[in-house]
Amino acid sequence: MDAEIRITAEPIDNAHCKFLVSLPVHSGGVRRFASSEAARGSPLAEAIFAIPGAEVTEVIVSGNLVTVVKRSAAPWQAVGKSVGAAIRSALASGRAAVAPKPAGAAVPGGVDDDALYDRVAELFDAQVNPMVARHGGRVELIDVQDAVVMLRMAGGCQGCGMADVTLRQGIEAMLQQSVPEVKGIVDITDHTAGTNPYFAAAKK
Amino acid sequence: MPCPSKPRLLLLLPTATYRAAAFVEAARRLGVELTVASELPSTFQQAQPDRLVTLDFSDPERAAQQAYQFARTHAIAGVTGVDDTAAVVAAAIAERLGLRGNPVSAALAARDKHLQRKELARRGVPVPRFELHELGEDVSDLAARMHYPCVLKPLRLSASRGVIRADDPPGFVAAFARLQQILEQPDVAACGGWTRYVLVEDFVPGPEVALEGLVIEGRLHVLALFDKPDPLDGPFFEETIYLTPSRLPEPARRVIVECGQAAVAALGVREGPIHAELRYNAGGPWLIELAARSIGGRCSAVLRFTAGERGRGKGCASLEELIIRHAVGLPIPSLEREQCAAGVVMIPVPGAGVLREVRGIAEARAVPLVEDVVITAHPDQPLVPWPEGSRYPGFIFARGETPEAVEAALRAAHGRLTFVLG
Repeated sequence: MDAEIRITAEPIDNAHCKFLVSLPVHSGGVRRFASSEAARGSPLAEAIFAIPGAEVTEVIVSGNLVTVVKRSAAPWQAVGKSVGAAIRSALASGRAAVAPKPAGAAVPGGVDDDALYDRVAELFDAQVNPMVARHGGRVELIDVQDAVVMLRMAGGCQGCGMADVTLRQGIEAMLQQSVPEVKGIVDITDHTAGTNPYFAAAKK
Repeated sequence: MPCPSKPRLLLLLPTATYRAAAFVEAARRLGVELTVASELPSTFQQAQPDRLVTLDFSDPERAAQQAYQFARTHAIAGVTGVDDTAAVVAAAIAERLGLRGNPVSAALAARDKHLQRKELARRGVPVPRFELHELGEDVSDLAARMHYPCVLKPLRLSASRGVIRADDPPGFVAAFARLQQILEQPDVAACGGWTRYVLVEDFVPGPEVALEGLVIEGRLHVLALFDKPDPLDGPFFEETIYLTPSRLPEPARRVIVECGQAAVAALGVREGPIHAELRYNAGGPWLIELAARSIGGRCSAVLRFTAGERGRGKGCASLEELIIRHAVGLPIPSLEREQCAAGVVMIPVPGAGVLREVRGIAEARAVPLVEDVVITAHPDQPLVPWPEGSRYPGFIFARGETPEAVEAALRAAHGRLTFVLG
């Protein structure tokens, strides 16, 4: 089975890297793990947190995409191979690589993710998407876990040279103002697959 | 107006930049308040007027006035521009607001190749012999009296777009016609009167290097000196590999840096990043070009700085972090690059056509020492070879113990990529 699994690493920076897998890793929506304790019961996340020296702080799994956040200065060229091996091993085991999301997850402070999801979805529908639509873009709310919003950009936003500006200066700022309980935002977009970015990088 | 708890950076980011993520994420890591200014409006500008503004990049004085109005309600601690045009606008804003920056005259000279040659030559900085010609001149007559080999250049286009070598009069006539076609393309011709001129200069033989630096109070601090191991002999000048540290002998490196410092002084550059291209031969160093901005494309990812901890280890800072720290007046712990060798390939355009697919990315990433392969061209994007083109389809990064090992890794990784064009 190993030979059939193709994994493409897409480092975002030295802390974040997306791994695109040729087979579905988890089909039950998005799962985010913010600690090795939270990863218990999900073999893939357990294995990634256990990579020696990587100091992994976060694993996010959605469909064919595994996003890993680490604290160590080790380059992804080294850590990525261990992540790839963990993905292959988890998929080859025949067991579910990731356990289903537990119901009723709540963040400290009493705000539950489902309530946050509804408020973020409303903000996206009422304000964010009408704005990005002017550039042919779309932002999909994938999930809210532990008060972290996971989203995917599409249309003119996918692969756009200014996508990070839209994300941080636009969407994140609006979330801070309208849903201040949100702790963070994770873009799980495969920007390399964007076929119609509104702004394409051109200058050296 | 209340004094903000965090310094605010006004980041001039053209919408066609490769570098939005690198600068935005660097500002986040530093905890700097960020306002992004572009030449076209963001769809979020009305909703986030303190974070997103539109400035007229085509008119630096007007942009400075717009920034001044913005600064009346949002205290700005620093300004930096990401490309050549934005660097001029940043200089105008810095002058208007009294911020750390370059004189507008210096930024203008750094942007315009003819103006730059004149200033450098006047101040004794070694530059190739040059002449300025108009598109309407008698090309046959020009060709008959040129020195060969020579290089024809537009005054402002970036990424060596339109730069062509000519070895004889027929080659000169053909190169002139080809460059004229580029300059008369509507998107270029609309850029201003400079598109009616061609700079012709002697071709300088010898290896080319790139000097990355940060200028502080007029003094050049070297961040990296890159070798370009692939000969850039023309007829076109698409770049490929950058490798640092340079393998040139120490005396050569020293005079190259001295030449860079002389160019900085000659142009009047006072503050901020510079990126210079030089050639080195028996005659010593030759300043080919100096830009008042940092390295372009995605190449900055090849540079990491020790953030005060000498040698290897944790706490590496990016080039963008250094630039932002300098712009807003935050302390700069170190300007020392990490100890290992590092390199990048600007992936050459494989041919003219529409990009359908890139194969072998995983195989290229699997090459030892290769850290990343980034394909920036999107599916269905037309690829245009040099000299008409200026977009690299992607970048390959590697790090290792020696420049030789890094170069071998980069070449091996590039060899594993296949671009399928339609």
